[in-house]
Amino acid sequence: MLLKDMEPIVKKFYEGLEEGVYYARKCQECGAVEFPPHLACNTCGYHGTEWVEVSGHGKLLNFTIPGIQNDKPHLKEHGKYGYGTVELDEGCQYTFVVYGLSKKKAADVRAKIMAGETVGVHAKTIDRPQYKELVFELD
Amino acid sequence: MVKLGKDMRSVSIVGVGCTPFCDFEEHPETQGIGEGEAFGYAALEAIADAGLEPRDIQYFYHGAANPFMINDCITPNMQVADWFGVRGIGSVAHSEACCTGYVALQEAVMAVASGTYDVVLSGAVDLASTLPVEHAPSHIRQPFPLEVMLPSLDKIYDRAYGRPLDGAFGISFDNWINEYRMTYDLSDDQIDQALNGLSKVLRKAAVAHPLGYYDQDYDQVAAEKGLASADEFLASMFNPKVTMYLRVSGFETKCSGASALVVMPTEKALALGVPHTPIEVLGTGSSAFEAGLASNERQGTTTAIKEVYELTGVSPDEVDLFMCNDFFLASEIVAAEECGYIPRGEAWQYAIDGRTAYWGDKPINPHGGRCNFGHAHGASGLADVYEAVKQMRGEAGPTQIEKRPETALLRGFGGSQNVRCQILRTVS
Repeated sequence: MLLKDMEPIVKKFYEGLEEGVYYARKCQECGAVEFPPHLACNTCGYHGTEWVEVSGHGKLLNFTIPGIQNDKPHLKEHGKYGYGTVELDEGCQYTFVVYGLSKKKAADVRAKIMAGETVGVHAKTIDRPQYKELVFELD
Repeated sequence: MVKLGKDMRSVSIVGVGCTPFCDFEEHPETQGIGEGEAFGYAALEAIADAGLEPRDIQYFYHGAANPFMINDCITPNMQVADWFGVRGIGSVAHSEACCTGYVALQEAVMAVASGTYDVVLSGAVDLASTLPVEHAPSHIRQPFPLEVMLPSLDKIYDRAYGRPLDGAFGISFDNWINEYRMTYDLSDDQIDQALNGLSKVLRKAAVAHPLGYYDQDYDQVAAEKGLASADEFLASMFNPKVTMYLRVSGFETKCSGASALVVMPTEKALALGVPHTPIEVLGTGSSAFEAGLASNERQGTTTAIKEVYELTGVSPDEVDLFMCNDFFLASEIVAAEECGYIPRGEAWQYAIDGRTAYWGDKPINPHGGRCNFGHAHGASGLADVYEAVKQMRGEAGPTQIEKRPETALLRGFGGSQNVRCQILRTVS
């Protein structure tokens, strides 16, 4: 393995956030999308992936509302939020902070998810020391 | 083929991978590389080298010398699996300071020898050139000066006595070479010439090696300083003694790197027809003597080498290549004799005569060793295995030793001092 064969993946992901671009890696065998990006495919276990951009749009699969044990002041500064599993339109799932959720709205959003309705979310960023953090927000 | 013991089976290395050992932050291609990516690159290279895909790996080991400080994490195995496409499989993290890479091989072999798994990956990573930034993503890093690293080494030593009584840290650099000097009635100058002789040839190896840290040998360094030769530079005030025997050139070159290997049952490797000749792991001898104990590195090496020779039935004269953890450079001389690779009382002269160079008749560390190839702490032991395997395949390129080795011996140690002696043999 030589230096020329290596590429910083995490760095490109965060640089993308600075520019409003959401970078992912697509499996060169099965086509599954790794988001956030990794070197290899965790869907089929193939070694090769390549850069793609994803929409930053998806749907909320489930969520919780923080209590005093798991509430973070720096997140609350940007509005009411929950923690949720997001499935991007490109098919990959990961957990994120999701703004627009609150104790007041929880029952309504949960009912929609349980009824099979799509609860759309879109990506945005918030500022953290030295980097931008990717979060989602209800459509 | 040697059977390791009752109900166990022969295990071979079928794939190896290793990143360059350098400061990733200093190279535009790799600036911002984090631990996960580095481990992933080494792991994917090892998997490809074995002719496999990530989906074929059943279990993996993650090694790091000090993950809490250097990787900013407690559970590094959990944080690298996705990088090389093995999400969801079982794994474990281990940390034995600079002995990590040898334990990595031993544990992976036992997992397969026991029959628990057939295909196991073992890797290690330490980005020791720089430090992570707490609460920031992995591509954001900060300097890691010696003023920060040296106090952390204190934690290697026993809290009850070894650390508070202060002797362990002070004596560990020089104690074995000091015993050696007294045993053979050698002068300061003879020891100095021997260590400088090692530095010269090891630096040449590291410069020639495509993964090595340095790009200038000591003749070139001397010329830059206006000195006539490497010998003059190495004995000069530019390379001062920093312990009783060791000059700056006799200490590790701290750097970043990752390395990995894949093991499987030898019979399976042969049946599959893996791309490269399998390298059988004949056995590991283990020992551990805490640093406050007298002559700990020597006692550990004596115990571990005896165990591995008895276990495998190999005799020292069968060893074609000796790999030695040499972050205290004098280890090469004393350990080579203790392991029977060089006759007792003669290794210091071999070093002066350059016979341990990769072009010599008794090669040691043809990649350049810790002081010259670079020392990425937990990852270095597996880099030694990588080098040994490449040498045994005849694929070591510019530093290929003259007689392709069939049997290699590794003497690893670390953590003051956990010792492993391991014997590898080409499957015929």
